[in-house]
Amino acid sequence: MMDLDILKVRDASDVEDAVRAALAAGRPLEIVGHGSKRVLGRPVDAAAVLDLSALAAVTLYEPHELVLTVAAGAALTDVVTLLADHGQQLAFEPMDVRPLLGGEDAGTIGGMLGAALSGPRRIKAGGARDHFLGFSAVSGFGETFKAGGRVVKNVTGYDLCKLMAGSWGTLAVMTEVTLKVLPKAEAETTLMLRGLDAATANRAMTAALGSPHDVSGAAHLPASGLRGPCAGLAAGAATTLVRVEGIDVSVADRVAALRRELAGFGAVEAIEGEPSKAAWQAIRDVVPFAAGGALGAWPVWRIVCPPARGCALGEELARESGGEAVYDCGGGLIWLALPPLPDAGAALVHARAGAAGGHAMLFRAAAPLRASVAVFPPLASGLAALNRRVKVGFDPHDLFNRGRLHAMTEAS
Amino acid sequence: MSILMPEFDKAVMARRGDIVTALRAIVPGEGVICESRELVPYETDGLTAYRQPPLVVVLPETTAQVAAVLRYCHDNGIKVVPRGAGTSLSGGALPLGDGVLLGLGKFKRIRDIDFDNRVVVTEPGVTNLAISQAVAHAGFYYAPDPSSQIACTIGGNVAENAGGVHCLKYGVTSNNVLGCEIVLMNGEIVRIGGKGCEQPGYDLLGVVNGSEGLLGVITEITVRILQKPATARALMVGFASVEAAGACVAEVIGGGIIPGGMEMMDRLAIHAAEAFVHAGYPLDVEALLLVELDGPVAEVDALIGRVEAIARGCGATTVQVSHSEEERLLFWAGRKAAFPAVGRISPDYLCMDGTIPRGKLPEALARIRELSVKYGLQVANVFHAGDGNLHPLILYDANVPGEMDRAEACGADILRACVDLGGVLTGEHGVGIEKRDLMPTMFSEIDLKQQQRLKCAFDSGGLLNPGKVFPTLHCCAELGYMHVHGGKLAFPDLPRF
Repeated sequence: MMDLDILKVRDASDVEDAVRAALAAGRPLEIVGHGSKRVLGRPVDAAAVLDLSALAAVTLYEPHELVLTVAAGAALTDVVTLLADHGQQLAFEPMDVRPLLGGEDAGTIGGMLGAALSGPRRIKAGGARDHFLGFSAVSGFGETFKAGGRVVKNVTGYDLCKLMAGSWGTLAVMTEVTLKVLPKAEAETTLMLRGLDAATANRAMTAALGSPHDVSGAAHLPASGLRGPCAGLAAGAATTLVRVEGIDVSVADRVAALRRELAGFGAVEAIEGEPSKAAWQAIRDVVPFAAGGALGAWPVWRIVCPPARGCALGEELARESGGEAVYDCGGGLIWLALPPLPDAGAALVHARAGAAGGHAMLFRAAAPLRASVAVFPPLASGLAALNRRVKVGFDPHDLFNRGRLHAMTEAS
Repeated sequence: MSILMPEFDKAVMARRGDIVTALRAIVPGEGVICESRELVPYETDGLTAYRQPPLVVVLPETTAQVAAVLRYCHDNGIKVVPRGAGTSLSGGALPLGDGVLLGLGKFKRIRDIDFDNRVVVTEPGVTNLAISQAVAHAGFYYAPDPSSQIACTIGGNVAENAGGVHCLKYGVTSNNVLGCEIVLMNGEIVRIGGKGCEQPGYDLLGVVNGSEGLLGVITEITVRILQKPATARALMVGFASVEAAGACVAEVIGGGIIPGGMEMMDRLAIHAAEAFVHAGYPLDVEALLLVELDGPVAEVDALIGRVEAIARGCGATTVQVSHSEEERLLFWAGRKAAFPAVGRISPDYLCMDGTIPRGKLPEALARIRELSVKYGLQVANVFHAGDGNLHPLILYDANVPGEMDRAEACGADILRACVDLGGVLTGEHGVGIEKRDLMPTMFSEIDLKQQQRLKCAFDSGGLLNPGKVFPTLHCCAELGYMHVHGGKLAFPDLPRF
């Protein structure tokens, strides 16, 4: 990644020009907003950087319509602030990668969508994909195209927004995106259980999520995973957290009901307002494994699996590797920090995650490691071939973020 | 009958006997239907103005049979149209005279109910409502509720990305599907997603939802189930103008309240529904709003109060709040019967399905009124107001020469107006054949070509459900789509993926 040309584009038409030039010259591009997520995925093989940070305008924000259109290079923090000024939010709680990756910048909306890293509320509100209504982009054919729209109910043509979400910039260069936004909850309370082992914690979260009380967060932090300060959560004992949000009277009602349902798991404590928000922000951003913390030098995996199996899978992996696991989404999202191993534990983690009906991504690791092991899960052969054909349909010459998802040898 | 379908391939039709024999070797017994009398039930779907008997119907029972049928058709250049319950309102399951109609009606088994992971794994021929019924004993349900839910199948719901009254709060089909097994046109079986909340690789599940049977044949689906809300109550609010009702919708949503459902009806629809089911609807109003709040009792009671205050602030002339389940269901009875109610006052009607930004409701209604006058046809309006999804019902008589053509032209103009107001051609019924030729109002040639390149990745020969969704059929080479074989592009000098 040394001495790359930086193509700083001013608008969407510049993007099309730059892609056409790259296409003509056969020079692959690394697609970058603020660069906050360049260390995610495999290192990219590019001849130039396409810098979208100047595409930062808010084109349309209609709070009453719950809709926002911004240029892809708009800063995530600016958008979050703009929405908060109107009592609104991106309901899928996009992760801020700074604590975990140690960067300075929280990145752009385009990067947020490209990585599709949703937070704890995913279990209730859905992920980034579910809030992504429309976009304009430039394909690897050098053509500007659009898909979707600005309304939620829309089945006109294929839902390409879903395809772009989580595509890591490998299909097309998004220039403008439209998102559904939602009101912030008026109140929130988090119930906490202390000292549960992982299996019991998983059962407690399953009970809460299987109740009619509309839980919007369910996480478990084992004692050994909390080695430093974490949003005021007491170290030394495992903490299981269940969040309820809504209007005051409803939160009070549901908290009372959940206290009864969780009583069998031990004493139930509660935090509200700011302390509750801070706790969930720390869970969202994986503060227990923060770059500046005790486990900051360890590689970190992000594992998605059926939620009721999550804690068993995480415990097994932690035990076999000597690592630590924390759990979000009722057990459906495992963050696993492993002590340094030659392959970052890739063979073990991919095999076990796959056997549990899940899949894993090596999230934090030094570049040489990310270049040498399977960062993303190996796909079954039919699915892998279909993924390649989809890529070819959008970017036939592999111009965008070449090599970010898979090594050449894996693809062939 | 203004929609042209691709010209039938006479050579394929001439091979009909061989095709039937080959299909019988794959699906034994009564799974292959070729008697013309027995093909009649399959010649149309919910868009009954269009009819076409298929070349042959095949009703496989296993994924292996589906794969074998598709592989055979692929190898022999035979088109295939997949079909669930045949309730599509856009002609998505309209057969082709030179194509095999592949019915999934025998895939009727729920394979796994997993309460701990809050999912149901089901075959595609199970009805939408049957999924909710199968988990009701534990207090769960499947949230998307298209109004045809007693008949429509979950496979068809995925293909059309079906919505329903409650999708304002709980999302449409694609927000509630976690995994599927699909068979590609070449017979390959691919599993996408599972019981977790994300899938590895590209989000192909996201494009299979709403792909209208053009990408693959779905043979298994994993859906998310939810606990039923503790209670639901409804408000029935009358307004002297649609503008006031539209403003109320905007105030409720803008006020941070996402109701379980929020429906609007105009005068013609109100009168038709009241005459049919006697729900107690006020007849002296221009617009009726039904707002349902669901959730914990304390929350619902509080929000009912807030919505009532907003409605009065917006000039509501009548406000009624349901105080019992019977009363709530009565409020809904008129809305749920709105389509058949309109069917009683007109020999035929066309149901449109555009979506507009919520704030444009009054403007959209004004445009619809103008078009109603211009075409000399009455239009009754029923909306999913909360998400701006309009269902104008255009009344006509198919026995009056030229009236159906006028109704179709009126419908097309209404959809053009939706796009013009910042909306889209279809919110939940699908493009199918009905809106196919209107696609260029919303999308450029380049936009549509890019969509078709995605199709090429799944079905490079264009054999699966051709003639639907896209107004112009391009072969994949024309689109610049390059063939991939064994993971490698056919052109060795090009960079690799």
